[in-house]
Amino acid sequence: MSNRSGSNRPEWLQQYDLIGKIGEGTYGLVFLAKIKSNRSKSIAIKKFKQSKDGDGVSPTAIREIMLLREISHENVVKLVNVHINHIDMSLYLAFDYAEHDLYEIIRHHRDKVNQAINQYTVKSILWQLLNGLNYLHSNWIMHRDLKPSNILVMGDGEEQGVVKIADFGLARIYQAPLKPLSDNGVVVTIWYRAPELLLGAKHYTSAVDMWAVGCIFAELLTLKPLFQGQEVKATPNPFQLDQLDKIFKVLGHPTVDKWPTLAHLPHWQSDQQHIQGHKYDSPGLYSVVHLPPKNSAYDLLSKMLEYDPRKRLTAAQALDHEYFRMEPLPGRNALVPPQPGEKIVNYPTRPVDTNTDFEGTTSLQPAQQQASGNQMSGGMAGAHIMGTRNVPRPVHMVGGMQRMQQQQNMAAYNLASQAAAGMSGGAAMNPGNIPMQRGVAAQPHQQQQQQQQQLRRKDGMGMPGYPQQKSRRF
Amino acid sequence: MATDFWTSTHYKQLLDQEEVDVVHNLDKERGITLEDFKLIKLHMTNYIARLAQNVKVRQRVVATAVTYMRRAYTRRSMTEYDPRLVAPTCLYLASKAEESTVQARLLVFYIKKLHSDDKYRYEIKDILEMEMKLLEALNYYLVVFHPYRALSQLLQDAGMGDATQMTWGLINDSYKTDLILMYPPHTIALACIYVASMLKDKDNTAWFEQLRVDMNMVEKVATEILDFYDNHKTITDEKVNAAMQKLSTRT
Repeated sequence: MSNRSGSNRPEWLQQYDLIGKIGEGTYGLVFLAKIKSNRSKSIAIKKFKQSKDGDGVSPTAIREIMLLREISHENVVKLVNVHINHIDMSLYLAFDYAEHDLYEIIRHHRDKVNQAINQYTVKSILWQLLNGLNYLHSNWIMHRDLKPSNILVMGDGEEQGVVKIADFGLARIYQAPLKPLSDNGVVVTIWYRAPELLLGAKHYTSAVDMWAVGCIFAELLTLKPLFQGQEVKATPNPFQLDQLDKIFKVLGHPTVDKWPTLAHLPHWQSDQQHIQGHKYDSPGLYSVVHLPPKNSAYDLLSKMLEYDPRKRLTAAQALDHEYFRMEPLPGRNALVPPQPGEKIVNYPTRPVDTNTDFEGTTSLQPAQQQASGNQMSGGMAGAHIMGTRNVPRPVHMVGGMQRMQQQQNMAAYNLASQAAAGMSGGAAMNPGNIPMQRGVAAQPHQQQQQQQQQLRRKDGMGMPGYPQQKSRRF
Repeated sequence: MATDFWTSTHYKQLLDQEEVDVVHNLDKERGITLEDFKLIKLHMTNYIARLAQNVKVRQRVVATAVTYMRRAYTRRSMTEYDPRLVAPTCLYLASKAEESTVQARLLVFYIKKLHSDDKYRYEIKDILEMEMKLLEALNYYLVVFHPYRALSQLLQDAGMGDATQMTWGLINDSYKTDLILMYPPHTIALACIYVASMLKDKDNTAWFEQLRVDMNMVEKVATEILDFYDNHKTITDEKVNAAMQKLSTRT
């Protein structure tokens, strides 16, 4: 590969067969590749562009690398390698590839099969997500950007159906931060953003991740985002009234009685007319998620969506909830229920743009074409989905913009708001948003609307391992 | 910072003295001795601290930067990785890792202000290139634990709240040696408290005993710190300059 197309390709590149591009974001591209020495192994390679402001490797990439090098857990993506191309000063993170993610799984059920996700799968996904999060939190790491597109699920292979938390571009170690975390700009996609953040909390905790998990849980149950607020676009850190409105309509008005520190939150104090003045009644989470109030799933959900972050369930407490001790019990392969006779849903594979090389330029190379052909037999793509990747789906790249397939009736979902949340701050803010392209060409009018957005991020970071015992030796 | 020290890559990467005190062959060819090697690292530690004062970052950033620099030279030669570029680049990378990013152009500004000497003159482009080489040299392990973290709690517990400043200073000086590459940070913190107790004539034997830590190791580190101070008196500008002279001149 090094002498092809006359570019100065680094040696490390030769260990991979590039299949194509699977995503694109504000500061990088994501590629699917195979390891030449083990062609059954698929790798997602996230390329960070050199930042334009002349300030070297982006702090986001640094943060992601430093965290991922330390952590290791079955339910967190595994960073398998880091590479550098000194010639164009680009940085590459290589992750174990995960074929699916919750955004696509939910969308498939909602728009394609028109059917709820089975209970076993919901419970298994939730348990594994909590298991990974419990590991992160017990290592003092907050993710801060949990949302369906960041929760990956492994495709066929030894780890089929295993959930992996991905995208640590916004993650933080929360021990002794040098600056208040809020200085890093807004975090967490608005729909999954915890109320204390929306109300302007300066210091927040891992409870923000648990709120997001609650939102994701509800979305797995209903196939619809629970709180779909309209994002206010402004810098820095605008007050997101509509998002709070959506939350209050479902959960009722928060009160200082139930949430004592509420009184100290900046937006609660300053925007009395809108938030404090408005009366919300009929709290009815159970009617939104169609669960009876006595149901254990409902009980767990409502405890994750507790207003007061100090009362909100922790990941460890959630794992202990009776919901997980009731049939069906959660399993390691979330996609295939152990009970025979259960219908297995075949999810589509990620679309791959095979016309883009590592430089992000479009140049069809023979080796790559071959690679994409081979992958059919590679064993990663399971037998049941083999057909789907037979022919690379036509992914039309327009002016380098990524586009994703979007259903017409889904226009309200995934507006730029989803991606842009968390990007309004300074250098530290650019979240690891690498949109993945999804699917086939979008309708022209949708393309425009969606250019900036990220629907998909794929990433990997990762780690094997289990929550270690915290042995303080003295 | 992140995670638990005992499961961290910092812990896994701790080295023995013999592994740290290796002068790279390329450097030996230039006549750099082990003493020169240590002097240059000390000199660069001071350089990082002075730059940090100017760009106004906290001590933890300095400590991380110095650790990066010392780690880098367990794997790379000074001949190929000029310390006068590596030092500011370590500060640059550490500022990102510790969430208080310093702009490269600001560093370059202060480099020029501190050193009119051409040998120190590096531009933004050089720092950005070295940043990537440094990431590689560090094998992308960027999390560093420091002795500062547990300090105030330990001092309180030992009833030595009045020795905070002295102990803090001792810890700062410990970065002028390779101790951070060889010992767990809390051992260094305890050794500094041990030294401070000696200097203050305070008998803390009982307190140390109830900690159930390896007192031999604490005393060993304390001895190294005291040795450093003794030895430091013999360091002259001439010696430092002579060592620096042996470094390559840039092409």
